Amino acid sequence: MSEIEAGRGAVAPVKSQEGGEGLLAALALAGGAGVLAAFFGAPAVRFWANALLWFCFYATVGLGALFLAALEHLVGARWSVPLRRVAERAGSLVLLAVLLGLPLLFSLSVLYPWTRPEARHEPFVSGKLDGWLNVPFFTARALATFALWGLAFAVLAGLSLRQDRTADPRLTLRLRRFAPAFMALYAVTVTLLAFDWLGGLEPAWYSDIFGVYVFAGSFLAGLSATALGTVRLLSRGRLPGVERDHLYNLGGFLFAFLVFWSYIGFAQYLLMWYANLPEEVFYYADRAQGGWPWVMAALALLHFVLPFFALLPRDRKGDPTLLRRAAALVLVAHLLDLYGLIFPSLSKTVVFSWPEAAFALAFGSLFCLWMRRAQSLGADMPVGDPFLRDGLEFRL
Amino acid sequence: MSDKAFAVLGLFDSPDGLLAAIPRVRALGLGRLEAYTPYPVHGVEKALGLKKSPLAGMVLVMGLVGALSAFLFQFWATGIDYPIVVGGKSPLAWQAYIPIVFEVMVLFATFTAGLGMLLLLNRLPFYGHPVLSSRAIAAVTRDRFALAVEALGEELDVQAARRALEEAGASPVEVVPLPAPDGPYSPNALLRGLLAVAASCLAAGLLTYWGIKLMPVLPPMVHMEDQPRVNAQAPSAFFADGHAMRLPAPGTVARGFLPYGPASREEAAALPNPLPRNAAVLALGKARYGTFCAVCHGPLGDGVPTLTAAYGAKPANLQSRTVREYPDGVIFDVITRGKNAMPSYAWALTEEERWAVVHYVRVLERAQNARDEDLK
Repeated sequence: MSEIEAGRGAVAPVKSQEGGEGLLAALALAGGAGVLAAFFGAPAVRFWANALLWFCFYATVGLGALFLAALEHLVGARWSVPLRRVAERAGSLVLLAVLLGLPLLFSLSVLYPWTRPEARHEPFVSGKLDGWLNVPFFTARALATFALWGLAFAVLAGLSLRQDRTADPRLTLRLRRFAPAFMALYAVTVTLLAFDWLGGLEPAWYSDIFGVYVFAGSFLAGLSATALGTVRLLSRGRLPGVERDHLYNLGGFLFAFLVFWSYIGFAQYLLMWYANLPEEVFYYADRAQGGWPWVMAALALLHFVLPFFALLPRDRKGDPTLLRRAAALVLVAHLLDLYGLIFPSLSKTVVFSWPEAAFALAFGSLFCLWMRRAQSLGADMPVGDPFLRDGLEFRL
Repeated sequence: MSDKAFAVLGLFDSPDGLLAAIPRVRALGLGRLEAYTPYPVHGVEKALGLKKSPLAGMVLVMGLVGALSAFLFQFWATGIDYPIVVGGKSPLAWQAYIPIVFEVMVLFATFTAGLGMLLLLNRLPFYGHPVLSSRAIAAVTRDRFALAVEALGEELDVQAARRALEEAGASPVEVVPLPAPDGPYSPNALLRGLLAVAASCLAAGLLTYWGIKLMPVLPPMVHMEDQPRVNAQAPSAFFADGHAMRLPAPGTVARGFLPYGPASREEAAALPNPLPRNAAVLALGKARYGTFCAVCHGPLGDGVPTLTAAYGAKPANLQSRTVREYPDGVIFDVITRGKNAMPSYAWALTEEERWAVVHYVRVLERAQNARDEDLK
């Protein structure tokens, strides 16, 4: 019980004494200046494509982390209770995603070909314009998803934070009742994120499995952010009682979903490559020209081969150093994945120069800064959760 | 029963007692330590100092071997030895190999994991581990925890082991004797006998097969093999051209297929269309045109194909003045014998269907080149 008492002692807002936040803020500001320069100096498509990339990154990481937290409530898992707060904190990224997504709604005519008049004459697009792909409906869908993300975060994190203070076990029951609703909400909104924001760049293209593909990437990214936060808190002694066994489960999840992501991604590619239908295969033809094959090969290497073999041995999955490196690698690979989903649809050759670098600097630093500031959200573990003790006693 | 000891076994009342005893007994180094518990006890494997199972490495290696052999086999079979083009893909297209590579990798890995665990690591099959005949085993399957000091091949210092276990808190302590060597009718001997029979059956079968194949001293069923006939596509010394297969005699006509009359396109131009121009005929022509012609000549007959023209040659525009001025017989002749890059479609369309298509082509032409009186 003493560990839990110690955990509750940490509820008092400990002013983060760690250095580096000033540096991160300075980097974000410098990057922000570059972003501003890109707004005036770079083609509008480049600017908004980068904004879309980081919007999708924040949204997928945040949603993936919320999914992990809700998964615990859904299946009644005990082992992940001590780590749930880390996931809930990472879930706050959906708020940042919404902030970034709102201005993106004004860029639709720049990014999306279906907003242009000539889309009326595109064979595979014209039929979708009235029912689905039009600016009012798109905006309505986007606003609805933003509201649902905010609601999901408010419920999942809000009730859990309230439980820190009240230690009321009924809140756990309420969260368990909310979890299935969150799953439905998550499935629909991630599919909308995939089909609307990413698939909309190639409105003629059609793939049933694309939503699942984006889901797999999202869960991996949320899991990686959670693993990074866990290892970081652990190394500072802020998660007393969390053992290698908990890390092993995170590593095992990461390993399993790396394979899942690759399976879905390759399945989509194999079927389209085999069938060779013009309305499907052009998506991959776009990615087989210019320098894009190298990007795709790098994606396969960084998003599958390297982390797969790194996490393959049993002992490695619970190794904090390795888990931290693998999780960071998967996050970077997830960025590359989104880059490969967005940019080849807009450009025949690989584009990467100062606008991309400025965006990466600004929003990458902002990401790190946000994740650090989120560490002051509530106690480091859900100290009011009746299953915390069970969770801490979890052994493989 | 021999008088040699297999192990000295001590019982503990609780898992904590067992865990506390293991390091004390282990420090003496009397023999191989083994714990027997009614359920898995956390920390026992660490206390016993068990090495990590080599199974994971075996599975990894065999999985990679499976993946590699599946890849190389497909590469060799469909890419090198007998290249097959499927769906316009290169015979060496690696993408198509991946599902099989994956499946064979899983097959090799799971078989290695299952059989390696059972046969290599656990030394199955055998009947009756010696500890199963101890008096303590009944309690171990219920609520007691046993620690055994097992002989490492050589003699076991029974007295020292007994003392060590008693000092560590075990009670009672018992000596498990080494089982007597197998008699001729023991289950183990029986199993070995069965395995020997199976192995000799397999060896005899293989020997017979390869023996007959490589050294045909006594070919079985010789009368069926020695028939006075030649095989299809085999060479033959009997015929002057050296081929066993014969060409049909000149002038042979297959049943139901009359030879095509006109010798030249000019001759064909004089053929009249024997079919009436009615709804049934046009429906037939439209259906056949949609199936066989539209992919190249386009649904309107304007030479804009429904499939991307991947074949280089540009299909003829049936709306062109040249085609419009062809007599029916010429179009019929082109369908029958082909023209330029267009092959003959006589295999696909009966004569009646060809004439129906000719009618339908006329309809298409008229639809695109309407006269004034058509609009009234």
